Amino acid sequence: MSTAAGKGISGEGDVRSWKREPIKPGKSDDQLQALAAERFGLARDAKDRWNLTMTLAAGQAKAKLHEVVRVLRDDPELRFDMLLDLAAIDYLSYPNHRGPRFAVVYLFKSLVFRHRFKLKVEVEEDDAELPSIHDLYRIADWSEREVFDQMGVVFSGHPNLKRILNHHEFIGHPLRKDYPCQKRQKLSINDPMVDQLESRLKHFGYQVVDSGEVHLGAPIAAKHQSVAEQGSVDTQKQKNAAGAVGAGGI
Amino acid sequence: MTFKPVPATVAAVSDSFVPDGVIATSVEAVVNWGRRNSLWPFPFGTACCGIEFMGVVSSVFDISRFGAELVRFSPRQADLLIIAGTITYKQAPVLRRIYDQMCEPKWVISAGACATSGGFYDCYCTVPGIDEIIPVDIYIAGCPPRPEAFLEGLVQLQNKIAREHLKEQKAVGA
Ligand code: SF4
Repeated sequence: MSTAAGKGISGEGDVRSWKREPIKPGKSDDQLQALAAERFGLARDAKDRWNLTMTLAAGQAKAKLHEVVRVLRDDPELRFDMLLDLAAIDYLSYPNHRGPRFAVVYLFKSLVFRHRFKLKVEVEEDDAELPSIHDLYRIADWSEREVFDQMGVVFSGHPNLKRILNHHEFIGHPLRKDYPCQKRQKLSINDPMVDQLESRLKHFGYQVVDSGEVHLGAPIAAKHQSVAEQGSVDTQKQKNAAGAVGAGGI
Repeated sequence: MTFKPVPATVAAVSDSFVPDGVIATSVEAVVNWGRRNSLWPFPFGTACCGIEFMGVVSSVFDISRFGAELVRFSPRQADLLIIAGTITYKQAPVLRRIYDQMCEPKWVISAGACATSGGFYDCYCTVPGIDEIIPVDIYIAGCPPRPEAFLEGLVQLQNKIAREHLKEQKAVGA
């Protein structure tokens, strides 16, 4: 969650050393509602008659969302350490709807307390922008890209906000209710998506010389050298093999 | 196996001249016989139909009875492209490139409703039939097609190959 999250790269922290804490009694919906109302001034969503949904109004979202989510995650009584999902709703053709056109819904769960929390953030059509929470939950990186791709909600501060499901030549946002759902858009050249591959390779010590071509950086080469000495593996062969990975291109 | 009738001149020569154990036929018939009984498929399985293709290759249905069991995962070693599954526009350039990488002669089977027509995915992202991208020789109906239907499609393709003329080879990339 610390340094690597900022770069949008996974791979830090050893999963095997992670121990699950014993489950403790969590908060009821009523308690969560009272707490959210008192701490953040959130209102309960009357449309949700079965579960607890707290609403963050469009005007406050930009200023408050990141802080609210951070407290939800870090508060010792709440500890919502898991972002289950992040999705958007388009209310364009919703019967009797008043208010902003879009809403982005965040679903949280606590692995320690086993309580859940639904946060609905209203988003105006002509100002469809929210602060990104990718630095709090790594999974939000891709989820936010998906919401951006399908609904056109922009997440400011996201390190790589580009389409994730639709192709890069796609125009418009297909899950918006005013997108004609049978309107097809052809793709001429596919996107090899090397930018993300390259950032990962760099993270592991490789050095990107030219796009599509990868060379061994100093730390990895040194590691291979020592392996070669111990196990009498041909170092040059290894280097060639590593070079071939990049030279193959995509 | 139905050979085309041998030209009369060849037959006349063979009667008097060729010893026992030798048959006379046309080059075309022999080449087509070889091609259609040793198809090397490249499976482009992207969805549930791909699972059905695995059934066709397995011993119960056994595609090797028809000489097409040598499944290759390099398009350069295959001459039969089997598209089994849904193709999206994002994937279309990849499929086109794989087709282009296959050497002539090559044939294409579109297996299942999705590959043939887009199936029930009548939406913004699915290609409504792969013949928008590449030429198709045989369409197999079904969602998914039963293995028997796969084999029927393969036999249909073999019949089609038997009728091909060497002089009329498909243009590269056509
Ligand atoms: S045709 Fe049916 S079985 Fe085949 S890929 Fe499409 S949905 Fe799946």
